[in-house]
Order: sequence, then C-alpha cells, then structure tokens
Amino acid sequence: MTLEIISFVVFALLAIASALLVITAKHPVVSAMSMIFHFFMLAGLYLTLSAQFIAVMQVMVYAGAIMVLVVFAIMLLNLGDEGKLRSGFNFRKLVAWFLGGALAVQIAVLLSNGALSNTAISEKASELGTAQVIGGELFTNYIYPIEIVGILLFAAIVGAIYMAKKNLPTEE
Amino acid sequence: MYDLVKFVPLLPLLGFLFLGLLGNKIKNEKIIGSIGCGTVGIAFVLLFSMFWNFIQAPPESAVIVPIYNWITIDDFNIQIAYQVDQLSLLFGMIITGVGFLIHVYSIGYMHGDRSFFRFFSYLNLFIFMMLNLVLANNFLVTFLGWEGVGLCSYLLIGFWYDKKFQGTRLTWTGDAANKAFITNRVGDYGFLIGMFLVFITFGTLEYTSVNQAASNAYMSYYGSGIMTAITIMFFLGCTGKSAQLPLAIWLPDAMAGPTSVSALIHAATMVTSGIFLIARNSVLFALAPDTMTVVLVVGIITAFTAASVGLVQNDLKKVLAYSTVSQLGFMFAALGAGAFTAGVFHVMTHAFFKGLLFLAAGAIIHGMHDEQNIKKMGGLKSYMPKTYFTFLIATFAISGIPFFSGFFSKDEILWSVYANNGILPWAILAISALFTAFYMFRLLYLVFFGKERFNCEHGKPHEAPATMTIPLIILAFLSAFGGFLGIPDVLGSWASESPNLIHNYLSPIFADANRVLHSHAGHSSHSSILELGLMLVSVLLAVFGIYKAKQYYSDPAWTSPRKLVRNYNGIYRMLLSKYKLDEFYFAVVVDTLLNFSKNFLWKIFDVKGIDGVVNGTAKGTLAFADVARKIQSGIVQNYALLMTAGIVAILCIYIFI
Amino acid sequence: MINEFILALPLLLIAIGSILVLMLDAATRNKQIVYYTSILVLLGLGISAGYTLQFDVAIIAQADKTISANTIFYGGMSAVFDIIFAMGGLLTLFASREYLQRNYKEINECYSLVLLAVVGMVVIAHSNSLIMLFLGVELMSIVFYILTGFFRNREHALEAALKYFILGSFASGFLLYGIALIYGSTGSLILSDISQQIASGNYNSIYLSIGLGLMTVGLCFKVAAFPFHQWAPDVYYGSPTAISGFLCTSGKAAALVALVVVAKNVLSVETSNVNYLLESTTARNILAGISACTMIIGNLSALAQKNVKRMLAYSSVAHAGYILMGIVACSTEGFYAVAFYCAVYLFMQVGAFAIVGFIEFRDEGNMLISDYADLRTTHPALAAAMACFMLSLAGIPPFGGFFGKYFLFVAAIKSGYLWLTLIAVVASIISMYFYIGLILTMYFKNNENPINVGKMQGTKLTVALSIIGVILLGIMPNVFYGLFNFTF
Repeated sequence: MTLEIISFVVFALLAIASALLVITAKHPVVSAMSMIFHFFMLAGLYLTLSAQFIAVMQVMVYAGAIMVLVVFAIMLLNLGDEGKLRSGFNFRKLVAWFLGGALAVQIAVLLSNGALSNTAISEKASELGTAQVIGGELFTNYIYPIEIVGILLFAAIVGAIYMAKKNLPTEE
Repeated sequence: MYDLVKFVPLLPLLGFLFLGLLGNKIKNEKIIGSIGCGTVGIAFVLLFSMFWNFIQAPPESAVIVPIYNWITIDDFNIQIAYQVDQLSLLFGMIITGVGFLIHVYSIGYMHGDRSFFRFFSYLNLFIFMMLNLVLANNFLVTFLGWEGVGLCSYLLIGFWYDKKFQGTRLTWTGDAANKAFITNRVGDYGFLIGMFLVFITFGTLEYTSVNQAASNAYMSYYGSGIMTAITIMFFLGCTGKSAQLPLAIWLPDAMAGPTSVSALIHAATMVTSGIFLIARNSVLFALAPDTMTVVLVVGIITAFTAASVGLVQNDLKKVLAYSTVSQLGFMFAALGAGAFTAGVFHVMTHAFFKGLLFLAAGAIIHGMHDEQNIKKMGGLKSYMPKTYFTFLIATFAISGIPFFSGFFSKDEILWSVYANNGILPWAILAISALFTAFYMFRLLYLVFFGKERFNCEHGKPHEAPATMTIPLIILAFLSAFGGFLGIPDVLGSWASESPNLIHNYLSPIFADANRVLHSHAGHSSHSSILELGLMLVSVLLAVFGIYKAKQYYSDPAWTSPRKLVRNYNGIYRMLLSKYKLDEFYFAVVVDTLLNFSKNFLWKIFDVKGIDGVVNGTAKGTLAFADVARKIQSGIVQNYALLMTAGIVAILCIYIFI
Repeated sequence: MINEFILALPLLLIAIGSILVLMLDAATRNKQIVYYTSILVLLGLGISAGYTLQFDVAIIAQADKTISANTIFYGGMSAVFDIIFAMGGLLTLFASREYLQRNYKEINECYSLVLLAVVGMVVIAHSNSLIMLFLGVELMSIVFYILTGFFRNREHALEAALKYFILGSFASGFLLYGIALIYGSTGSLILSDISQQIASGNYNSIYLSIGLGLMTVGLCFKVAAFPFHQWAPDVYYGSPTAISGFLCTSGKAAALVALVVVAKNVLSVETSNVNYLLESTTARNILAGISACTMIIGNLSALAQKNVKRMLAYSSVAHAGYILMGIVACSTEGFYAVAFYCAVYLFMQVGAFAIVGFIEFRDEGNMLISDYADLRTTHPALAAAMACFMLSLAGIPPFGGFFGKYFLFVAAIKSGYLWLTLIAVVASIISMYFYIGLILTMYFKNNENPINVGKMQGTKLTVALSIIGVILLGIMPNVFYGLFNFTF
C-alpha cells in the first residue's frame, strides 16, 4: 500500500516536471530528451496500475521509436537556438500561465471533491494487463474499433504522403 | 362551390411561373399584360361569385378547403388549407379587385420598360402570396404569405435598381428595398414567436380551433400573461408589416419603387395585412386588454406623427406615404378600441381612395416626365382633367367630406374611439384628421392649381393613356360611393333597422371577440345626439383644414406658409426631418452593430479579413517550416487561449454550482 | 429478415469502398474510374442506409449483436445521418471535380479523402461506445486537416491546416479526458450501459459532470461553437471552396450527431434522481450559453465581411449555434430538429459554396461581395439559385431553412428555453443584413464588368440538387420527417 503510493507520487511528480521542461526548455534537444523521460515516467505509472503490456508498449513505441524519429528530425533540420521566438516577458504568456494554472487547480479541486469510493486495484488487474487478455479483447469485443483504428492510421499515412510528396502539382 | 377557392391563388401562381419562365420569349406587351391581368381578374370573379353565394346562404361556420398535408409529425399537423369566411372573402376581393385595376393600370404605366414581363410576374407572385396570407386557415400558411409579400415588396421596391434615390443614408432604390425588408423582418420574428406561443398554449395553429379554444375558456385566459405575450408579439409583426411606430420608417422609403407598386402593395393591400391579422385573431386580442391599449396608443401616436410629418413634405409620393402610415394608424386605433368592424371597413375604403391617389400620382409623375416635387408642379388641371377629377374625389374621400367613402369609415373609428376610450384619444385623432385634410388639399392646390412652375423641356404634361385612366375612374366611383356600405346607425336608422351593411356582414366573425369585450367592459351607451355632434365637429375640422390649405396655397407667393416656417423654424425642421427617427435607428442600431463587428470583435477575437485581405501571419513564403515558425508567434495561440478561457469558465460553473 | 450484416452494411460499404477507391487510384491512371467509383460507393452508402431504415430500432436493440459487442448502434437516427453524409459527400464530389481541374491539377486523393472523412462521420453516427465515437471524430478530423491544406502551395491553406491541426489536437485531448472521466464515473464505455448505470444511480456524479463538461468542450470545438470557434473561419476560408462546404456542413453535422448521441444517452436519462436532474440541467444550461454566444458572435462577425466565402464561413459558426438549440432542448423533438436542420443546412450551404467555387477564378479572384454585382444579367440561373440559398439561410419560407429554424425554436421553447429562442431570433434578424445584402448586390447593383465564367456541369448538378433539396424540404418537410418512423 505505502509502496504503491510512494512510487505513484515519485513517478507522477517526475512526469509533471519533465512535461514542464518539454515546453520551457530553450534547446529543442533538451525538450526531446525530457519528453523521452516523461514517457518513461508514464510507463512507470502504468506499471503501478498493473498494466504491464501498456507500459512496455509505451517505452517501445513512444520512448523508443517515435522519439528517435523526433530527435533525428531535430538534428536533420538543424534547429538551433530558438531564442528569437521567446521574446521574454509577454502579456499573452502571462495569461497563458494563469489560465493553465487555473485549469489545473480547477480539475484538481473538482476531482478531489468527488473522489471515487473504491480506489483499490482489483485482484484481477494484473491478469487483465497481459498481452494475451488485451489481444483477446481487441479481436472479440473491440473488433470494430480496431478496424476503425486501422482506417484511421491509413488515412493519416495517405495524408502524410500527400503532404510530403515531392512533385507538387503546380498551378497551371 | 367553395372548392373553387383552390384556384384563386393558383391562377396568379401560374401567371407568375409562366411569365417568369417564358416572359422574356414573349416580346409582346399586350400578351404579357393580359396574362398578368387575366389571372388576377379571374381570381376576382371567382371570389366574387363565392361571395355572392355566401351572402345568399351564409354557412354555419367557416368553410375549410384543404389542399394538402404540409407537415405531419406526431401531434403537429399543418395542412395547407384555405378558409372561406366573411373576412377572407372581403380581403380577397379587395386584393384581387383593386389588384386587377392596378394591373390594368400598370400596362400603361410600365409601357416600354425593359423588364415589363418581370414586373408582371412579380406582381402576380405578390397577389399569390397576399391571397395565401388572407385565405389561410392557419398561422403557418399566413406566415408563408406574410414573408412572401415581404419578398415581393423587396423585389418590386428595387425594381428600377439603377435609379438614384434620396433618403437618409440611402442612395439608390436597392437601399430602400433593403431597408424595407430588414425592418419588416424584425416584425416578422415577432409573428414567429407569437406563433410558437400559440402552438404551445393551444396545441394547434388553426385559426378556427385557436379562436374556439380561446373563447370557450375566456374566463381563464382573460388578461393572462400568455395572452398578452402572444398578442404583443403578433402586434410587433403588425407594426413591421403595416408600418406603425416604432417600425414605420421603411414605408416612406418604399416609395422608391414604381408607383403602381406603391399603390398596390404600400397602400391598398400588403400594409393592411397587420389589420387582417388582428381581425383574424380578434378573440385573442380581446382577451388581452393590455395589448388592446398598446394597439390603441400606437395607432393614435402613429396617426398623429405621420400626419404631422405629411404637412411639410414636398415629394408627391412621400406625402401620400406618410398619409398611408397615418391612415393605418387610424385603423389600428379602431382595432385597439375594440371596433374591429370599423378597422376593416376603413381598410376597404382606404384601399379605394389611397389606391386611387397613388395611381393618380403615378399618372401625374408619368405626365410630368418623372418629376415628383410638388413645388415644381402647378396648374396641371387643364392638362390632365381626368386625373384631376379622380384625384379630387379621392381627396374628398380621405379628408372625410360627408358622404364620400372615407367619411363613413373615419367617423365610425372616431366615434368608437370616443365611446370606448374617452375624449383625449378622440381629440388627437380628430386633429390628425384635420392635418390630413390640410396636407391633402395642399397637395391638390400645389399640383393642379396656381401657376405652372415646371419647365417644359421634356414637352408639355399630358394626360395618361386609357389603360391608366379607366382604373382611375372605376376607383373614383368606388371612393365616392363605397362608403354607403357602412352607413352608421345614427344616420341611417330612418331607412332600416340596421343600415350598416358591412357591420351586418362581418358581425359573425367578431361575435366572439365582442362577447368577450362586453362581458368585461360592460356596454356603455351614448346618445345619438352626441354622436351626431362629434361627427359635425370632425367635419368642421376637415373643412377648416381645407379652408386653410386653400388660403395658404392659392396665394402664388405662399406668403403665410413661408411666414409660418420662419416663425416656427424649429418645429418645421423637426417635421421635415421626420422627427429624426431614421437617424436615430441608424445611429443606435445599425452603426452600433457594425462598429461592434468591425472594431470590437476585431480587437477581441481577431476577426480578420474585413477588408477582404487575409491578415494571417504567413506572408510571402511557401516553405512549411517557415509557416510553422510564423504561426508560432501568431494568433493561433490566442485561439488556444480563448479556448482555455472557455474551459476554465465552464469548470467554474461546476465549481460554484 | 434482419441480421447484423445487413444492418452494418452502410458502415462496411463505405469503409471498404473508401479503401478500394484508394487502391484503384494506385492501380489505374484513369481518373474517371476513380471518380465514378467514389460516387458509386456513396450511393451504396445512401441506399443501404435507406434500406436499414425500415427496421424497427426496438427490434434491432434486442437482436443478438455478437460481432459488434454493442459498440455499434444500428438503424434509426444513425441511418438518417448516413443518408445525410452520403448526400453531403455526393454533392461535394460533383462540385469539386471541375473546381479542382480548374484551380489545381485534379488529384484523386481528394475523392478518397472525402470518402475516408465520410467513414469517420458514419462511425460517429453509429457509435454506441465512447471509443467508437472518439475514433470516428479523430478519423474525420485527420482527414479534414489534410483536406484543409489540400492546396499545399497556397500559404493560407497551409496556415489554416496547421492551425486546425494544433487546435484540433488540443480539443481532442479534452474530449478524451472527458471520456475517461465518464468511464471512471460509470465503469463503462458502452453508451447504453452508461445510461442504465445512471438510471440506477450507480455512478459518480462529479466525475460524470466534469466528464460531460470536457466532452462538451471537445465536441463544441468540432462543431465550431463559441469560444472554440476561431479556427473555423480560417479553415473554411483556407480550404478549397468545394471542400469548405463539405467541412462546414457534413463535418458540423457529424460533430452534432456526436453530441446527439451523448445527449440522448447521458443527458436525457429518465430517472427520479434529483442530483442527476441538476447535473443534466447544468450541462444543458452550459450548452445553451454556448449556443447563444455562438449565434450572436457568428452573425456579428459575418456582418462586417466583404468576402463572400468568409461571410459564409462566419455565418456557418452562427448556424452551429442554432443547431445546438436542438441539443439543449434534449428531447426527441430536439434531436429530430437537429437532423432536419443538418439536412437543410447541407443543401443550402454546399449549394452556396458550390456557387462561390464556380465564380471564383484563379488566385482567389471574384470573391468579394461587390464582385457579385449584377450577377443576374450574366448568370441569371446562378443568381436565382444563390438568392434561394441566401433566403433559406436567412430562414424565409417556403425554403427549407425556415422549417429548420422553426423546429429548433419549437423544440427549445417546449423545453423551457424561451430566452434562448429570443436570442436566436435577434441573431437571425442580424443575419438578415448580410444574406439579403448579397441578394441586393446580385440583383440591384450595376457592375461595369460583370462576372462571366465558363461552364461547369458538375457544379451545376450540385447546385440543382441543392435547390431541389432546399425547396423540397420547405414545401414537403414530411419527406424527411417520414424517415423517422422508428427512431429510438
């Protein structure tokens, strides 16, 4: 019980901190790195919920595959100093921080008011988190959603290819 | 027999379709004209034959002739159906009868116009819509017609769209059409809301059922908030369509259209649809005494204001337009006083004499080669004798000279206002009548008498062709003698028990409303000596007005009016500028909204592209990354901020509730 | 005979069809084949949806749904929306072909992307699970991002696409958060189960409220309602004109059907629970506030526009506000009214955009209101059609737009939202100014060089179909309402 709480607090605080670093870091590579760290922390959170499969996927897909791509892109585009974009103090930024903070506080207040009565993790949770069970669910009860996900990814790929295609059809 | 009513609106509709689709292939004006007139004429004949049958053997209740089911959804069922009863027949005959005459007149008036066929197709469409308005058996079909006539009015006001037109912030006829349409829409939404409230209160939109339900349960409905709300909303609709304050501002500018349009739509038919609506729902209005007071007060104020503005206008058609507004005010005053019959009667006589006045004005303008300023006319009597003669009769009628049609209807209004609401409303209306007599004879003297103030570079003024004068003569006959349908009891009691034919004819329609009114107000009786006395006073006032007009304007130098203007310059300016109502609306409503849209919204919410240019952040670059970089410092963040603010606001609601 | 395969036919047809069209595009160089196959697929969607309409939803609900495991809702309202989406796709295809040929090289991806977007919409309409709903919204949105930036060498198209993408992801986050909270509250993602949980009082009320609030935010973004509307004018303006009509009619209808699905299952559960009544009333009042602001702000912003496309874009924001009234009413009548207005709005707005696209020439010329002056002499039929669309948008009988508004207003008043109706009325009066202003320009203004553009048969087909739709729905609304035989 206590171990769960301690690990949750540690993972959660580190996740928030690294997420803040992603948007505040001056250098893009630092942002990317803290994002990877953030994904690891999320994976840790999943583990505390006994969702091993998701945790592994999180690390493999996001922290592994996607972030490597992002870092490559940063390198290749040679995005150096982004100082020009940060014009120091700025009224909009102030409002943004204020609103963001307000939103966070609000959600925290509201959710703590209505805390779920039964927060204990079910005994079966560790079984449910396995690849076998998830696979079974996906191909029985969630057969339609998974097909739609397929189409969604298909559409996204088509769009990405269209946007990146080299030979632009020029206006005649 | 009454099934024939199906064909009454159908004919003008066919005329519209035929002329609209094939009109430009037919070059012959005679064929187009006779199709246009023929459909309306036959519709009139049909209505008249039904009317004849009707008065021979009046049916127990209104005859409903269904056409087809418009909407059927669960409990909501709307038929397109026509209702044949006293009121719809009377209005139908006014519309098709006067409409027919004006169609005939238009053949001459529009001769040589490049869009001759389009004019007649619009006119036929107007008649179709107007017939739907009055023949409908439920609110929705009436509303269809109500919007339709607004649309036709729009198309016809802007018909000569390349013509300049002078008005407050209006420069050409299209602006005037726009103003009329938008002002009308304010009222139309009042109608719409009223209709929703009726549906929610009574569960139906059919006139007969609604009126039945209301009069059956009148004890519980009388004076209730919902009745007041319904009727106030309908009355708002009426103020739009019938040009009453506060929405009266569009009618004078609607004179930008061809004159026969002004005669048909803006004098004889469309503007009286507000009176029709109240008469049709007399029970509902009788159940809402507060609304009745509002109707009365608005009617009286409009009658007085418009008549006073009419005193100083110099545009021939503008004077007649203000006169129309004022006369409509008289009708509403009658309705507000509970004298529904008097209001409807005045609609009829007004259609005769005001239609005639406009047609005669059209003939004058036609003969004067598009001159409308009465200061530049004069002495036309010898050039256009027929026009003069008919104009004179109409002027007598509108001024309330005894035994012309206007006399009977106006006096009935004045008397019922006095009998129900006392001396003050009567006095204001009587003074308005005095003004009416004055400005009408001022018009008469300035146009037909005195020295000729026009230059003849276009050639001498000439009399209109026969297609134009024959309708004038028929209308003159009706203006002169139409009033005898409604002889008041006090004058005709020697001849028969109930000499007021129009009253006898319409009494079944208003029986329920009168029952409601009498059960609550009690029936006060006044002596017939008093009635005769007041009649005499109003006639004397009219004669006084005529005398003053003659005295002022038969003097070629206009010394006394000029002196008056000098002495009372402030009042004169106020009247000439129409109490600055237009300026008020433009400053308070139109400019505020436009400025809000242009300046405020732009500053707060980044409404871009006001001048047609994209003020986005990306400029002069095609590279994706560059676009992204620019957006980085661009407004997309503002968008996100507003979104976040919205979410915060929504969550605040949850926190504090 | 009802079996699940037949009921799912619309969904399967369009999903398989959209992929088939892309394959065809890769396999053949013949553009005609791709175009006509797309049309066939959409026709198939419409016809199969029409076929499923005849089945009683009550029976469908009892049927054994093993394959879909209750994630799909069949028949009824969803089939009606299938037909609307099929119609929207067809009208867009007709209008876009020549538009693309003229303004840009014809690119077949456009057709398959439109089909893919329709897949997303159909999924939303059929969703009985919050997962399906979210996937449908995302599928549609991703395709819309691409379609917005379709003219990728036009800078403000790209700008709009990027803005849409960034903000859309932002909104999707809230939508997903809301879904998660509702799941946390009721323990289910299946909407019919959620309403059962609510009815039995077995849920966490605060989580439900916030979940609903956040879902409202996410969906209101897709509907383009205030204050989540600012992307809309940019996007509708930046996308290819033929596509703009699709985005702001079908896209809006899809987001609204998502709201209908949520409202019908979560907001209008019959229960005596007092807390629940309070929660649902709060959610409806929030929606009512959003709706009121949307129509006022949308119409006021459109007031000052001088560019026709931009004016239509802003006014489409206002129309979203009107349609939200049906959701606020949260009654069967209100949902019918939403469906009806979506159908009418489809016809009038797509028709209007088709005409704008027809008149537009390269480099976005001929798009100012003043360019339309005297259109009636050069293109009398087009001017008349545009006038009809404007009158219908303004809500004037006998056009369909009038009944659309009428049903919405009645539904709102019946549910006790008279004040909202009054605001809607004021907003409609304001909108009159610019709709009629365009007619005024077309009919009553002279133009020294009136527009004269060439012939476009496909666009004319779109315009003709739209005109028929607008008038038919006005004269015989029964035709459409007859479809609601067995809804719910």
